[in-house]
Amino acid sequence: MDDAPEIPDEELVARTQAGDPDAFDELVLRYSKRLYGLIYNMTSNHEDTNDLLQEVFAKAYRSIKGFQRKSSFYTWLHSIAVNMTINFLKKRGRRQSTSIDDEEAGLQFDKEFLEATEGSDPRREANLSELQQRLNEALQKLSHEHRAVVTMFDIQGMPHAEIAKILRVSEGTVRSRLFYAHRQLQNYLEEFIKQ
Amino acid sequence: MGDELDISKLLRQRRFIEPPPEYFDKFLRDFRRRQRAELIQRSAWEIFWDRIASVAPHFRVPQYAYAVIAVMAASASTFILTRPAPVTNQVAVAEAPATFSLTSPKPVTIGDTRAVSTRPTGPLPSHYVLPSRPVSNEQPLSF
Repeated sequence: MDDAPEIPDEELVARTQAGDPDAFDELVLRYSKRLYGLIYNMTSNHEDTNDLLQEVFAKAYRSIKGFQRKSSFYTWLHSIAVNMTINFLKKRGRRQSTSIDDEEAGLQFDKEFLEATEGSDPRREANLSELQQRLNEALQKLSHEHRAVVTMFDIQGMPHAEIAKILRVSEGTVRSRLFYAHRQLQNYLEEFIKQ
Repeated sequence: MGDELDISKLLRQRRFIEPPPEYFDKFLRDFRRRQRAELIQRSAWEIFWDRIASVAPHFRVPQYAYAVIAVMAASASTFILTRPAPVTNQVAVAEAPATFSLTSPKPVTIGDTRAVSTRPTGPLPSHYVLPSRPVSNEQPLSF
């Protein structure tokens, strides 16, 4: 970790708007990991995530001159990512694209997760892995809008208010979508748990 | 919670899924390369359109402006559809002799040029005989 204080987003945005491409590179590095998680959990496909992530940053770069800082850059960027991903999913329709599982795509659980699960017995680990696979399948059965809310709230840990701003809906809508999505996921996974 | 599955806890674990560390450096390189390629390939029109599209959502148009525009458009179309057809002089033009034209190469003949003796007999067309020399205010020519 660098000791130098992190440059605020606002400054990097201003520098990008003034024509400094390096400032935008810094923003890409800062947000690509987080946006990757957001898009991947919505598409469940590494290749699609990679392409979409490229397009999201390309669009953000093209549009940044018009960004008037009425919301934070974080919210603005997430809005672009969520809208583009939902549009992509609508176009993709029912085409099955979950064939690439996490291992094939070279995805992995990060260090923090591995440390947390280290020492657990192999049977439990196998069950957990299978449960995650089932959860992924269950997530794909949710509507795009419900999946977006679950991804942002449960997986990314965003507050309701932030999600409401990103999706341009009320906080009540966010809460009701979450409630419905959790119930759906619970139903999908119940059979697996009872086994 | 007993048998009940903690969905939130399971979902939180998905936070830790990520690509290998080298992915993000490669991603940035790919992004720069793509940006350069895009700049070369995109036409001036596309660049202009993108600029407009990025700025347009931030235009502040008062809500009543849309209503005013709609009313003006409705009035204009009503006026166009209901106005009476304009009166034209097409009939008069059609009935006019086509032979008369200032640019016509043929000489224009007015009246009957045949000798009186050769004209078919019958009542002469009405004509006027001047009783005397026409009155003129001009001075007679004197040399």
